[in-house]
Amino acid sequence: MSVDPMAYETQFFGFTPQTCMLRVYIAFQDYLFEMMLVVEGVMLKKLNGIPDCKISPSQIRKCTEKFLLFMKEHFDKLFAKMEEVLLQLVLNIPKNVVLPEDRVQEQYPYSKEEFQALQDELQQLQQQCRAEAAAEQALRAELEEQKAVKAELEKILQCFDGLENICREHGAGNFKESFALLTQSSKKLQDVLKDVEEKSKRMKQHDQLM
Amino acid sequence: ADGGGGPALSAAPGRAQVFTAVVDTFLEKLVAAGSYQRFVSSYRCFYKLQPQLTRSIYDQFISQLQASIKEEIQEVKNEGNLEGLFSSLDKIVEEAKDREEPAWRPSGIPEEDVRSTMVPYFLKHRSYLRRVLREKEEENRKVAESVLMGRDRIAELEQLIQARQQAWQ
Repeated sequence: MSVDPMAYETQFFGFTPQTCMLRVYIAFQDYLFEMMLVVEGVMLKKLNGIPDCKISPSQIRKCTEKFLLFMKEHFDKLFAKMEEVLLQLVLNIPKNVVLPEDRVQEQYPYSKEEFQALQDELQQLQQQCRAEAAAEQALRAELEEQKAVKAELEKILQCFDGLENICREHGAGNFKESFALLTQSSKKLQDVLKDVEEKSKRMKQHDQLM
Repeated sequence: ADGGGGPALSAAPGRAQVFTAVVDTFLEKLVAAGSYQRFVSSYRCFYKLQPQLTRSIYDQFISQLQASIKEEIQEVKNEGNLEGLFSSLDKIVEEAKDREEPAWRPSGIPEEDVRSTMVPYFLKHRSYLRRVLREKEEENRKVAESVLMGRDRIAELEQLIQARQQAWQ
């Protein structure tokens, strides 16, 4: 007799069908023996109460053994039949049936390579997300910088515009020109000053040498 | 049609029914084998002495044996929650009734079998990441546009300032 481990059934029921049958067999057998002992006990007790009894306990024991032998034979045959039916029809999972918890196995039969490819894809996606997050940070940092720079530049422009307005208000339309001229003359003055300084230095040297 | 009344003869017997029927049959046949005649023939000496007591002993023996066996079966059913499991299994089998090919069975190698259980989660994670990535890329595209516009504006301002400076020279 080939032994079918019935592993899938065990997964479902939480026990091995054959073990369950064995447990039941032993329990039934124990009850049978127990009952027989009780029967014997009752008979012996009765016989004890009868004076001059012709029947000995060992005779009763022989009767019990006879009956028990007969019962055991039928018991074993009947139980074997019951076990066969239960293992085939009740405590079994047909070959075409997959348990609900295992449905994914048939829905997603991924090979080792396919599974690895999926994992690799996930890793790559995560890297790309990280890259996009870093890019976002850099972009937003530049935006902040731009805000500050723009503010500064706009302030400078406002200064210039402010000056123009003052000139216009005070009718000094040529203020710009005058300012430009002033800048130029002050530069000229500076050059002349430098000239004079040099000349005086040379004269002093000349004096010393004399 | 629901409600009390006749038995559901149309449906095939469920596992629980078969289980009960099989155990009942076992008991029936066992009791039939251990008949009173058989009992008497084994305990003939006692029977001759106490025929009525023999009958009563036998009746008790049979009824006690049946009761113990039925109790044991009930205990097994309760411990293993067999009624519930039988009905679940019946449903599962019924759902697969149109399928002929042999179904998947554990390969015995856990590392192989666990792969498929993880795939649905990985697929969900993948579509989540794809969506997040797409959204982030779109967002960054817009921010990059703003940055470029900002650069242009700054260059514009710098030019204006330069023009003002020159006018004031």
